[in-house]
Amino acid sequence: MEEDLDNILDDWFIESIKIYKDLHVYQLENPTQVLEWTSGRNVCVAGYTSSSKNEILELHLPLKLLADKNKGLCAERDFKVVHGGFADGPVRRLRHIPGTRCAVTNDGHSSSLQVWDLGGDDSDVIRRTGSVEGGRTGSVRGSRIAARPSSQPQVLHGAQSDDVRLTEITSGRTVYKLEVDSSDALSSLQFVTDSIVVAGCCKGSILVADIRSPAAPQVCCPPASSAESVLWWTDASASSSRLIRLSSCGQAVVSELRMLGGGAVCQAQLDIQMRGSDSEDVVVSWAPALDDCIAVSGFSGAVQIYNTSLWKSDLQETTPLFQHRGHMVSSQQPDGVLTTAHAWHPERPRTLLSAASDGSVHVWDWVNQSAAESGSADPPT
Amino acid sequence: MPEIKVTPLGAGQDVGRSCILVSIGGKNIMLDCGMHMGYNDDRRFPDFSYITQNGRLTEFLDCVIISHFHLDHCGALPYMSEMVGYDGPIYMTHPTKAICPILLEDFRKITVDKKGETNFFTSQMIKDCMKKVIPLNLHQTVQVDDELEIKAYYAGHVLGAAMVHIKVGSESVVYTGDYNMTPDRHLGAAWIDKCRPDILISESTYATTIRDSKRCRERDFLKKVHESIERGGKVLIPVFALGRAQELCILLETFWERMNLKAPIYFSTGLTEKANHYYKLFITWTNQKIRKTFVQRNMFEFKHIKAFDRSYADNPGPMVVFATPGMLHAGQSLQIFKKWAGNEKNMVIMPGYCVQGTIGHKILNGQRKLEMEGRATVRKLSFTFTLTFFLLCNLDVKLQVEYMSFSAHADAKGIMQLIRMAEPRNMLLVHGEAVKMEFLKGKIEQEFSINCYMPANGETTTVTTNPSVPVDISLNLLKREMALGGPLPDPKKPRTMHGTLIMKENSLKLVSSEQALKELGLNEHQLRFTCRVQLQDPHSDPDTLHRIYTHLKSVLKGYTIQHLPDGTVMVESIVIKVSSSAEDPNTKVLLLSWSYQVTFLRC
Repeated sequence: MEEDLDNILDDWFIESIKIYKDLHVYQLENPTQVLEWTSGRNVCVAGYTSSSKNEILELHLPLKLLADKNKGLCAERDFKVVHGGFADGPVRRLRHIPGTRCAVTNDGHSSSLQVWDLGGDDSDVIRRTGSVEGGRTGSVRGSRIAARPSSQPQVLHGAQSDDVRLTEITSGRTVYKLEVDSSDALSSLQFVTDSIVVAGCCKGSILVADIRSPAAPQVCCPPASSAESVLWWTDASASSSRLIRLSSCGQAVVSELRMLGGGAVCQAQLDIQMRGSDSEDVVVSWAPALDDCIAVSGFSGAVQIYNTSLWKSDLQETTPLFQHRGHMVSSQQPDGVLTTAHAWHPERPRTLLSAASDGSVHVWDWVNQSAAESGSADPPT
Repeated sequence: MPEIKVTPLGAGQDVGRSCILVSIGGKNIMLDCGMHMGYNDDRRFPDFSYITQNGRLTEFLDCVIISHFHLDHCGALPYMSEMVGYDGPIYMTHPTKAICPILLEDFRKITVDKKGETNFFTSQMIKDCMKKVIPLNLHQTVQVDDELEIKAYYAGHVLGAAMVHIKVGSESVVYTGDYNMTPDRHLGAAWIDKCRPDILISESTYATTIRDSKRCRERDFLKKVHESIERGGKVLIPVFALGRAQELCILLETFWERMNLKAPIYFSTGLTEKANHYYKLFITWTNQKIRKTFVQRNMFEFKHIKAFDRSYADNPGPMVVFATPGMLHAGQSLQIFKKWAGNEKNMVIMPGYCVQGTIGHKILNGQRKLEMEGRATVRKLSFTFTLTFFLLCNLDVKLQVEYMSFSAHADAKGIMQLIRMAEPRNMLLVHGEAVKMEFLKGKIEQEFSINCYMPANGETTTVTTNPSVPVDISLNLLKREMALGGPLPDPKKPRTMHGTLIMKENSLKLVSSEQALKELGLNEHQLRFTCRVQLQDPHSDPDTLHRIYTHLKSVLKGYTIQHLPDGTVMVESIVIKVSSSAEDPNTKVLLLSWSYQVTFLRC
């Protein structure tokens, strides 16, 4: 049996020579649900076990991956643990505050946030420096977190739509509160500009607000096809002003952020199947440096890349542009492993990080096979 | 309190070389004796002045132990033993003993012949040094002397690498050298039993890394080879006979088979012979897979890989060649390199570290123009005369240079696994910057509740040990103490007991005094003290005695006081007699007498 597993691995690895430019495979001691960039070269991961202490690690990407010139002369392929610390409970969400060495975490079952100092050159320890209180207590889902892009250390957080607030980290003062009547569970929270925020609800509706104005947020209803039990995940792209919503049935809908009321721009039925009831792990994200591309993870052991520019206005089936099957292939239980997180590199167009429930973390730079074969241009970068 | 002292030799933040001194139970041991490959002057040698300012090291060291054949662990050994001076035993495993002198000689040749250095050891010194080596087998306890014993454990990493357990009395230390916790294609993973040493000493260099999988490194290798072959290029892989060569051959063979590739793969015959020879000798040091392969067939019998002939280097078209030596410093690999360097379709893959002064080192540092010695036959003048020039020509390095690291090292996870296996009482990490290791220190201290020390080079760490000294107690003594009653023995509440401690050879036992005397064949002597006290009392002698008796009875409650018919008073075992002074009947002399064992009474 082990021989068979080894063979499958060999097949995929040999195939990987053609389909990836770079590929790195790591095994953490504990799985992470967090992959958060703290710079173009450093990324944070954190454990989410319910028992005892969980590690928060800041890892420096392997030098070989980052080297552009003289890549061949660099043999360094490993992650370097540059900073590390311990959290008392699980860490389900982690956000880095841009322009600082500060990060904010949430344990996934309460509304309060922990504030951390990621450490500088003089120490490699990540230390807890304080906390930020959330709204209601006893929240089952835990808060979503978004960091304000400007250099004022402020964090937007909340678990339900009527409970979203913007807090100043140092003083703990609430600077803004989202004024909404209905209380819907949130699946995402983000800043698209320094003052425009987008909240995605699990039932599919979208709230867009300007934090400079006291006016109520603009509400956009869930896509028409949505049913009672369907869950939705959202990502908004600041650069293209587009929004994507993905349902637990695999339906993906793209809208214009500025014209949310105007209906979908395009949509597609993705090649995925919701496994189990754990929706905590699903992530959908726009590529920061590859137009019209999205990545989807959390439905299985794979990460899928789709090109939305090929989608139509009516719902049709579509296939991924690329599928990263590395986690499934190298796991001891191929059916049991689930991707827990993924993150696009902020600048390198096709470089992604992905993490899975078996503790694996992969860094991969994929080759656009169809473009390579047909000789046609890539989606513009 | 007993203590163990550990000092990594070297200065500041130097990480290039291993040489650690350990003082344990009165013994001094040197662990590894590496050369720092980054220096050209005396800084490359460990600083032995810590041991003694001048003169030989023999009387200061009980033994030297070398973990494996890498130069940063054994490169300074001949310098230490022959130039500084050490005549004591040097321990290393059999494979290390076989391979070390080859690497040392290669290294010497490069440094002296190529770079023209003078303060360096000679070939003869290497030979003399190796004469002092005592080889070790795995898991075999070796008595260095009647108090110091050592044992080697499998470390993986390279052929013959060992972790070593050092014991003096009930104190012990384990030194890991370089090791890895995941097996690779030709070596197993490190293993040690729950030996619970007082200190586990390890390198901190890889402790804060998370290693990329072996498969990804292999993938990168195959990808690069494939890309070159596809564009019609030639790939040169300079290798050392042992270690990665065999692994890379297996990889290429599998890949060629899978992809149905036709380009030829060659390896130089010198390589096969040497490798087969060493693997035969040290088959127990390789992992199960290799052993099985070796038994089934000749290790270097491949379908797609053939023996190389130098004329093949001029053949057109793509090919892959494995050739020695590994650092491109001489011989066949250098010859091939010179032929292929000018074509940008070609590639050289360096699978390991190259020493300064070699071509390998230069090209890995990005040098694209090399000065090479060459000979050119210019003109044939007649049947007997040929005009030959010895030239220094420039070689343009146009081929692709790839540096790949396949060496097997433990990482952050590996260190935790090893600590779990050995269960040390303390952890000590060398070659790290304390400020960059605080997290790891905290992690170890937290998970295992043990101290983690991180001495800087040249700094001594003293670890207090709490050795338990086992002592046998005789049954009689134990029964007697139990009969005295009182609470049961409790480690937190020591209580006094009387006995005799006998040390015989290396064992200790506690027996009753009577038994001790019997064993020693001695008669028991009793000490009795006497003292005279004078006091004025007009009564008769017996009356005075009685008065003393009554008085003592009233003040010394709780003690046994007897007035005996023979005219004495006994307080416990103290005897009191009264007699009158000859000159004056009113002056009474009290004679007090007691034996040595009497406990003090407070009056």
